[in-house]
Amino acid sequence: MSLVAVADAGPIIHLAEIESLALLAEVDQLYLPEVVYDELEVGGLPDGLDSIEYELVTTTMTCIEDEELDPGEASALAVSKERDAVLLTDDLAAREVAAQTGVEVHGSIGVIALGHSRGRLDRDEAASLMRTLQRETSLFVTDAVVRRGIELLDERGRTT
Amino acid sequence: MSAEISDRVREIAQARDVPESKVFEQALERGLETLWEDIVLSQYFEGTLDREQAVEQVGRSKVERAEREREVVEQDVDWGLNA
Repeated sequence: MSLVAVADAGPIIHLAEIESLALLAEVDQLYLPEVVYDELEVGGLPDGLDSIEYELVTTTMTCIEDEELDPGEASALAVSKERDAVLLTDDLAAREVAAQTGVEVHGSIGVIALGHSRGRLDRDEAASLMRTLQRETSLFVTDAVVRRGIELLDERGRTT
Repeated sequence: MSAEISDRVREIAQARDVPESKVFEQALERGLETLWEDIVLSQYFEGTLDREQAVEQVGRSKVERAEREREVVEQDVDWGLNA
């Protein structure tokens, strides 16, 4: 089954910060809302964005309004709902709103696990990227949680 | 990096009107606090510390936030390995 996803700015920025944007190539069809692209442009387009394939899209749905969401997150959520795609975001509030609206949602750690399961990263590379994501990026996640993620990679990687 | 740290220490000291030694002291306290919280949360996740003890040591909001993050990471790893 092909993997269709829509990204907001968070995973693009965080994966670029650990020089791993290429992992998004494991998504079969990646959509980037124009609002998100504009947000990225303001801070300077991340290196490596031009090396992955994505389609710039606008949403025809009424934008999902929620005071917890910024325009990029709201637009990405609307596109995900419209196209029955996975939403990629690292924002906890956006994840919660997405879950409430029935949209499947994951983040940068999931993209690293995806890279591992599809053979792009071995176990050590995936674990190292998870640690780097926690230590060197603006993604807020505690060290203890990342260590739990690496344990799961080992536990569940053995059974998949 | 060390030049950047020196510049930052100087700037913080000026902004807060405190000696640079005070800035280092505060940085050490904050850093230790973060490392301590990581240890407590790790022990809680590993089961060597119960939830109430973790709450007592780092506060309820940090425990709840870490629990939510753990849930999210579990969902992400499961998805990534099975997508």
